[in-house]
Amino acid sequence: MRKALPKFGLNFFCLLVYIFLAAPIVVVLFSSLTTTEYIVFPPKGLTLRWYTELVNHPEFMQSFMLSIGVAFGTAIISTVIGTMSSIAVVRYQFRGKTAIMQLVGSPLLIPTVVFGVALLQFYSWIGLATSPAALVIGHIILTIPFVMRLVVASLVGFDRSIEQAAMNLGAGSMRVFFQITLPIIKSGVIAGAIFAFITSFDDLTVALFIVSTDVVTLPVRIFTYMQYQYDPIITSVSSIVILLTVVLMVVIERVLGVGKVFESKNE
Amino acid sequence: MSYLCLENVVKTFNKTEVVKKMNLEIKQGELVSFLGPSGCGKTTTLNMIAGFLEVDGGKIVVDGKPVHLLPPNKREMGMVFQNYALFPHMTVFENVAYGLKLRKVSKDEIKSRVAEALEMVRLTGYEKRYPRELSGGQQQRVSLARALVIKPKVLLLDEPLSNLDAKLRQEMREEIVDIQKRVGITTIFVTHDQEEALAISDRIAVMYEGRIEQLDTPVEIYNHPQTDFVSRFIGEVNQVQGKVVKTLNNQESLVSFYGYEQILTRHLAKNSVIDFYIRPEKIHISLEPNDGIVVKVDRKMFLGAKTRYILHNKENKHIIADIPNTVLNPDHVQEGKDVSIQWNSEDLLATKK
Amino acid sequence: MQPETAYQEQELLFKQKKKNLSKKRMDYLLLLLPTLGIFIFFFLLPLFFLFITGFKTFDASSGVGNDWTLENYTKFLSDTFYLGVLWRTVKIALLTTLVAIVISFPVAYQITKANRRIKNYLTLIVLSPLLISMVIRCYGWVILLSNNGVVNNALLKFGWIDKPLTLLYTEFSVVIGMVHVLFPYMVLSIMGSLERIDPSVIRASQNLGASPIRTFFSIVLPLTLPGIFAGSVMVFSLGISSFVTPAILGGPQVKVMSFLTYEQVAVMLNWPYGSAIGFLLIFIATITIIIYSKLLTTSKKGVAIQ
Repeated sequence: MRKALPKFGLNFFCLLVYIFLAAPIVVVLFSSLTTTEYIVFPPKGLTLRWYTELVNHPEFMQSFMLSIGVAFGTAIISTVIGTMSSIAVVRYQFRGKTAIMQLVGSPLLIPTVVFGVALLQFYSWIGLATSPAALVIGHIILTIPFVMRLVVASLVGFDRSIEQAAMNLGAGSMRVFFQITLPIIKSGVIAGAIFAFITSFDDLTVALFIVSTDVVTLPVRIFTYMQYQYDPIITSVSSIVILLTVVLMVVIERVLGVGKVFESKNE
Repeated sequence: MSYLCLENVVKTFNKTEVVKKMNLEIKQGELVSFLGPSGCGKTTTLNMIAGFLEVDGGKIVVDGKPVHLLPPNKREMGMVFQNYALFPHMTVFENVAYGLKLRKVSKDEIKSRVAEALEMVRLTGYEKRYPRELSGGQQQRVSLARALVIKPKVLLLDEPLSNLDAKLRQEMREEIVDIQKRVGITTIFVTHDQEEALAISDRIAVMYEGRIEQLDTPVEIYNHPQTDFVSRFIGEVNQVQGKVVKTLNNQESLVSFYGYEQILTRHLAKNSVIDFYIRPEKIHISLEPNDGIVVKVDRKMFLGAKTRYILHNKENKHIIADIPNTVLNPDHVQEGKDVSIQWNSEDLLATKK
Repeated sequence: MQPETAYQEQELLFKQKKKNLSKKRMDYLLLLLPTLGIFIFFFLLPLFFLFITGFKTFDASSGVGNDWTLENYTKFLSDTFYLGVLWRTVKIALLTTLVAIVISFPVAYQITKANRRIKNYLTLIVLSPLLISMVIRCYGWVILLSNNGVVNNALLKFGWIDKPLTLLYTEFSVVIGMVHVLFPYMVLSIMGSLERIDPSVIRASQNLGASPIRTFFSIVLPLTLPGIFAGSVMVFSLGISSFVTPAILGGPQVKVMSFLTYEQVAVMLNWPYGSAIGFLLIFIATITIIIYSKLLTTSKKGVAIQ
């Protein structure tokens, strides 16, 4: 009995924290079903009206597609070049390695606003017009630290005699990389790619500086819209994004078993 | 005619030579062990043969062809690693088939050869398992099958048993020798375990500080160590000091060991003092007090078939003797009592510095 | 003589290969090149130019004037309004860190104690905020905290208050939002050190006669300090430089450094002043991290930040 009480207290406290974590997401999801013209929680009545209303706002769809495109581009490039750099850093001994590690890790320490301002100034000086590519470059820099951290972690514990065994059996270095090394560090690389995708898709700060009338990502669209409007259309857009995120996670979990990444992380 | 040849092979790390002008000739089908303490260069040498390290000088020749500048994937050598190095994302079948696939062997042939290899290591029926689902011994067998299935010219074993427990280690080493003899493959076996090396090798290369100290059959290595290091490294030895009393003729000298005089069949300078080694099991104990060197029994340890006696003489020289219990009943020897010891002069191991 | 020439031929081939091998040693440069190129060209260089801009005068037409000046920095450091913004930024980050520690520790503890299956689910719940768009989550808080929002409505209904409390666009709402965003970093960090505690240490303590509570305070808590420290550094430094949360939940009413930077550049078009504010923020963030790690290394229990 003496033991049960603190345990109950702990579980109750944690439950409150989980409610706190879920609250804003749940609120967004349910508010999107309201029949009222304004946002209210709990919703009054249930309707999918605000989802059909989206047809009259094609700009949200455009922004959504743009964000997906930018996030894809960022994830692919960031993962490829980040993995290459991770291999260099883990597998080779050379001077200035620490400096390079600090450089590629520093976007985590530099306030994103400052980086966004700097990039905007630089782009306007060199005359690079606002474009999805310009945004992708910014996002690559934001996401490389995550990719490298995850890939380096999976490479550090890598038993290189496995590669030697493959070489010994007659595989050339390219073959060893694609048939042995990559499949084994797969979970780290995929986790890196997912992180990169999400970070890019989620980014408001850098995108806010690199927008023009035709290049508006979804977070920027939502951000600007909600400064002037308070109708439930944002909740329906947001709900779609939330649901897609959940579906994406479940699919990835089922197909690739990324749950293992989280699993190995807390062991 | 030697099959695998090392000629003046050198390896340098940060200006220190870890392998010094090594020469070695191995006959076809022979099993040679590289034996030595850690840091003696045995693994470095193996990695140079496998191609994971470049040679900094000299040549490695296999079957008449120099291979030392070929990349590892062109050397046709099978290797078994200490930690098995199985591909964790492939099944047992895929692991064993990997080398064959690289050689573009047809599907049917791959199937039959993998089956054959798995049968050889007694793992038929395990094809669909993943390495993590196997025990250490089973993983090592898969590793062996994977190395042998490509019919390599040379089989390299890098401390393959050191991650297994003692009982399994004995079983596995017998199995490895058995398979090696059946296949008739030229094999190099790296180990730091002398018992293992003595048990399985055709010849042993004892290595120390980047050199081969002695390359010989296990019996010769044990009974006639050629250098000081080999004497001390293989088996156990007592170091004893002999003083040459006089030179009898060109072949014989009279030597006194702590007052116990013996004729040795070699020419030694008069009055010189020489260190010899004698193995514990070559010492005889006599319960008579004045039948050799007089020693006091400090302790006796019952070791099953034999008993180990820890002794010291008047000069406080410690000596260990192992006597089979069938030869001397340990109950007859009391701790704290004096006994005398002696040995046959031909059992003394010479020291050459 | 056939083998002899074949041998020489091979030897020649090998010399060629040897050349290739030495080229291999430069492989790392090729591997690093794309990343380094992007970082130097689109990260270091822009930041360097922006830094320079901070020492230029303001020009109403082009934003950046031609003359050099220190005024941007002296203006900030001598104006109580701006210093107030700086203090608010630090205060919000500190509060966020404290709240995060208090609510993270029990959660991390519960997760580490749970069995495998539950553990995976809980970890996923804790990490899921990281996966869902920050803008959307902040928007959820807007719905919850606004004057006719969920929280106020509930309080009014229960009769605990007479008129709605101002919750949104206050330091309170910013802290709430930031804790929500940064909480996972703290939990992961604390979980890391909780899991590294050897269970036999705890058994040893109990074996020596310590009660579970005593064991918790004298063994478990001290051993998790490195994790708490590391998590705090992370949460604090992300906290003082975060932009999205203060922008949505604080707005112009609760100005922080990052919002000020944005405002100067995007609204006032005063690039030099925006740059100076931005680099002051970088300076403070760097200083805190240095102080934190110094504290860690000097304290005897200090274990390096992972």
